[in-house]
Amino acid sequence: MNPDLDLTIARVIRAPRAAVWSAWTDPSRFAKWWIPAPSLCRVDRLDVRPGGALVTRLSDDGVEFVPHLDACFLVVDDHERIVFTNVIDSAWRPTNPSPVPMTAEITMTDHPDGTDYRVIVRHGDPAARDLHEKIGFADGWGSVTAQLAGVAESQGAL
Amino acid sequence: MAQYSAQLDGVFVALADPTRRWVIRRLGHGPTSVGDLARELPMTLPSFMKHVQTLESNGLIHTTKSGRVRTCVLNRERLAVVDDWLAEQRRIWEERTDRLERLVTDQQEKQQ
Repeated sequence: MNPDLDLTIARVIRAPRAAVWSAWTDPSRFAKWWIPAPSLCRVDRLDVRPGGALVTRLSDDGVEFVPHLDACFLVVDDHERIVFTNVIDSAWRPTNPSPVPMTAEITMTDHPDGTDYRVIVRHGDPAARDLHEKIGFADGWGSVTAQLAGVAESQGAL
Repeated sequence: MAQYSAQLDGVFVALADPTRRWVIRRLGHGPTSVGDLARELPMTLPSFMKHVQTLESNGLIHTTKSGRVRTCVLNRERLAVVDDWLAEQRRIWEERTDRLERLVTDQQEKQQ
């Protein structure tokens, strides 16, 4: 865990572990929460096993669906743990995903009030961040930096 | 990820124009009326309004109308999308977890 690159979420969800697992593994349920409304999610593949595919599309108008996530499960421990990455796509091809390469690890354990649900998302090394900054600030965007600085200076810390 | 990507796209679209960048910079000094902004630019008010709409629809500014005066205010949080990628990823995952939690707890209530 690197606090500059990674994030963790810990939550007690007031539902049994089986319900949480099913929300992750049943495509029709997965589609209900994966992408924020009003966008619609279409689950092309949700093959929850090591090496299996996780492919989702999203639509803003319900007609045209555009690629959203094309990822690969690395580890699947039944009802306990799911690990997937977008650095390898569903065909096991190495990719350079935007905006940030990541590996997400989801764990669920029983809790007196339901399910202890934890997420760790590990992001790429600082090169990934540099890439992000390049996208943001290179050619044509150079002035963004100056503007951000200007805003920060005139209105306090950004 | 796409949500983030879409937001970022929107921010960059909005900033991909020198007039709109000028507006952002100008609003960095404080809220300003559309009329005052337009007066400093070599373009018609309708042309300028299109830029205002692009900035507003991509969330970079808010506008409020008081009488006949429409005032533009910079949305600093949106600009931060460009800057703070990790905070943005955290927000995406927090909200994603909120939705998952809502789905499975709703199911619980229905079953009980």
